[in-house]
Amino acid sequence: MFSRKISNLILSFLLIAGGFLLSALQVNSEDLGDVDSPIKLAINEWTGQHISTHIAGQLLEKLGYSVEYVNAGNYPQFQALADGDIHATMEGWTNNLGDIYPVKKAEGTIVDIGPLGLDAGEGWVYLKFMEDMCPGLPAWEAMNDCAENLVTPETLPMGRFLAYPADWGNRSEMIIAALELNYKAVPGGTEGAMVAEIKAADAAQKPIFMMFWQPHYVFAEIGEVAWVDLPAYEEGCDTDPAWGMNPDATHDCGVFKPETMKIAWSGFQERWPAAWDLLSSYQLDNASQEAMMYEIDVEGADIVEVTGQWLEDNEDRWSSWVSSAMGS
Amino acid sequence: MLAEKNILPILWGGVLVFSALVMTLGSDLKWLFEFPESLHVPIAGFLDWIMLGFVDLFKWLFRFISRVLEWPMRGVQGFLEWLPWLTFASLATFIAWQGGGRRTGILTLVLLLYIVIVGYWYEGINTLSLVIICIPLAVLLGFTLGVWGHKSPKANAVIQTTLDFMQTIPAFAYLIPILLLFGFGPVVGLIASVIFATPPMVRNTILGLNRVPPEVRESGTMSGCTPRQRFWWVEVPTAFPQMLIGVNQTTMCALGMVIIAAIIGGFEDIGWEVLGRLRKAQFGQSILAGMVIVCLAIILDRITLSYAKRQLPTESHTGLRIKQFIVGFIGISIISYILAMFIEPLRIWPKSLEFYPADTMNALVFNIIANFGDVLETSKNQMQYFVLLPVKLGFTRSIFPITWGFALTPTIIGIYWFIIFLGAAIALYFRHWKIAIAIPFIAGILYFGITGVSWVVYLVVLPLFAFSLGGTRVTLFVTGSLIFLMVSGIWVPALVSIYLCSVAVAICIILGGLMGIWASTSERISAIIRPINDTLQTLPQFVLLIPAVMFFRVGDFTALLAIVAYAIVPMIRYTEQGLRTVSPTAIEAGITSGCTPAQIFWQIKLKLALPQILVGINQTTLFGLNMLVIAALVGTTGLGQQIYLALSKVDAGGGIVAGLGMALIAMSADRMMRAYISRTSK
Repeated sequence: MFSRKISNLILSFLLIAGGFLLSALQVNSEDLGDVDSPIKLAINEWTGQHISTHIAGQLLEKLGYSVEYVNAGNYPQFQALADGDIHATMEGWTNNLGDIYPVKKAEGTIVDIGPLGLDAGEGWVYLKFMEDMCPGLPAWEAMNDCAENLVTPETLPMGRFLAYPADWGNRSEMIIAALELNYKAVPGGTEGAMVAEIKAADAAQKPIFMMFWQPHYVFAEIGEVAWVDLPAYEEGCDTDPAWGMNPDATHDCGVFKPETMKIAWSGFQERWPAAWDLLSSYQLDNASQEAMMYEIDVEGADIVEVTGQWLEDNEDRWSSWVSSAMGS
Repeated sequence: MLAEKNILPILWGGVLVFSALVMTLGSDLKWLFEFPESLHVPIAGFLDWIMLGFVDLFKWLFRFISRVLEWPMRGVQGFLEWLPWLTFASLATFIAWQGGGRRTGILTLVLLLYIVIVGYWYEGINTLSLVIICIPLAVLLGFTLGVWGHKSPKANAVIQTTLDFMQTIPAFAYLIPILLLFGFGPVVGLIASVIFATPPMVRNTILGLNRVPPEVRESGTMSGCTPRQRFWWVEVPTAFPQMLIGVNQTTMCALGMVIIAAIIGGFEDIGWEVLGRLRKAQFGQSILAGMVIVCLAIILDRITLSYAKRQLPTESHTGLRIKQFIVGFIGISIISYILAMFIEPLRIWPKSLEFYPADTMNALVFNIIANFGDVLETSKNQMQYFVLLPVKLGFTRSIFPITWGFALTPTIIGIYWFIIFLGAAIALYFRHWKIAIAIPFIAGILYFGITGVSWVVYLVVLPLFAFSLGGTRVTLFVTGSLIFLMVSGIWVPALVSIYLCSVAVAICIILGGLMGIWASTSERISAIIRPINDTLQTLPQFVLLIPAVMFFRVGDFTALLAIVAYAIVPMIRYTEQGLRTVSPTAIEAGITSGCTPAQIFWQIKLKLALPQILVGINQTTLFGLNMLVIAALVGTTGLGQQIYLALSKVDAGGGIVAGLGMALIAMSADRMMRAYISRTSK
């Protein structure tokens, strides 16, 4: 009897102490928000995005959140974000958000956190050795003189130009028409098929012109490439025919410079205020991402180790993001 | 019958003249060659509108189902992840042995060891948990629908058509509607798999129940069964072996959907791994991962088949009795678990012991490209110039001095048509009016190209063709399908799809037929071809696309190779099967009556095997159409591309319209061929 009384006493003490402790934590976690539920970050199909996401995830863990990584297709992820099944995605490319992104954004179910800061580029790429057969490159006018080297049965009598897959839009086709180039755009099908083409062209030393983007890991695996100098993109050149050298056509210019965006579920900021602050200040640069991509894709290193090492080496970059998030 | 015989040649003659007039006199009328936009009906928009309304109304219900289904799925996944690989592998081997004896057991063990050693155990096990949840759902649903279809002929008609659609609409087309309804997550992949995997179960259940002999049923009634008892105790057991075949096919279909389900994501399975590797064009890695799916497919196939076979009285392997089996099962679980607890590599295979020869495989591909690039390029160009372009664009738009070595001058055109009419006249003289009609039609298609023939001509010729093959119902179906393709605004991509598919099917018939004949004459060849066929059918098709693109670049030719690689399998199988099952008495009768070997082959074997071969052609056509979506991944511009366009826009209606278009083409082809088969086998 007696011993039970004592144990009851101890138990109630413990409970009270625990309650105090919990409420003390509660004060602190009011800024953090709902620390108990994991923040789900989208993992898309490419390594660069995995790196951006794992760095963000490890930073969030430093704040005390738990993070879950969820595989999601680049377009389907926006449905998941809109429903709150996934909470944020770290590397949306503004040139490849699909038509679902503007719809969900207009609905107000997803919100932009802000740019990620990668210096992204997009344009027409060719293999450097082609400058011997097409003198005058990288100027776009030089493409016409060597179109005959790129003739294929399906593009006869024009040269073959490998454009983006049809579902990414048809800008190359319009640029070719506007600049009156001797080429026919062939849809690339998928990113994998396009990468396979440029790898094979490099291996066989065959000429190729294609639309592509950077940073991209494939450039680390093949010989030197170069970009065609198209007339610089200016606001309106893709909508106003009067702009540029061809008075009758739009798109007589290069393409707009894409950005990389961090995008979240609309309830994110309210649920995890400090996490939102941290992700808002989070930035990544090309050199870091490309170096890590190389380690992972070419050398076969583990992504968690590589990103963890990067965080360890670059504490000066992110310490201010963490402290400002804590202070908010 | 007499009237029909007289009327058909006249109708065909009339259609031929009409088509010729349209193609010559009407060549300046633009509306004859581009289906007028004013006749388009906004079907996609309408479907989208219905779909969105439906989603808004019933989203809560489907989201609830999704949450409910997610529990068992996560449960199975968690359990399988927790289980040491040794325990799983030894139990699976034990189950396989129990079903099929030593060979099945060893095969299962070897294939599972492959998955372990390559380092894809975790991903493979996740895929398996999706399949494990999918199969009971599909089997249960299929059984219920099958019983319903067996009991009510009215329901059966509806069910059969629905099944046709479920199997011919590419899964890509309904991914978006499912995503909208069920929300994001692995459940979307599960639902897509169930949709695709249920039809074989329904078909086999109906087939099994319909085939129960009436005497068996009567004996049940006579021994005093109530209808319900008779059904469960007499009919179902009798139909059981057929139903197990259904389970087997359902399993295969579920695994076939793994990659497609991975497009949505939400799950760390092998499909996601394959897709990621493909995106990076890493051939070696993608084939190593793809082989994991092949391994799982073969294991599940052999195990389910072995249990299906055990129902047959001829099967010698009986395995342990139930009690012994349970004891063995528990014993193996405990022993292997304890072993795995003490020896770490038996629980989780260490990374250092993985065997992953991807780089070597990639190097091999690059070697071929660097050394044989020109040869490959030339052979591809020949194929393009002399086959693909003429069929697609016609001689008028593909014969140039740089392609064929001469220009299409009026003289040559004159000679061409003169030879054609001469051929038709000779056929007519010998009273082969069908050949006399076919010659100018085929010549016309080659001259103008499939994409260059007016829609009006298609609208007249194809229904008449269907009518000649199978009567009114088939004709109505084909006509309806044509009108749907035209008014929904997908006629041009549909023609591109038809062109690509018909060339692929023609190649499959010739190559596959020859291989089937060869395999039927030699056990050794047959033994070599069989595993290749298995692999071609279960290896995710995308995987072979990467080296194909590297060798032959993005375009129709690469797509053609991919379609042929997949669709040739049934042609080989059915040809071999048909020739092998020709009754030896028929052949002996031929020998005794003094036939030469060639005569025996042409007059007896091939003739008797023809019904089977026709079924093979039918299957090959359906498989080829199925591959069109995948062909679009390497840059073809047909209906497959329309589906991707819709997918990227989350345009549910557009996707369904393109998917329906494909399904209608496939079903029209299927119905016409089935009509022909049932006529020839009579």
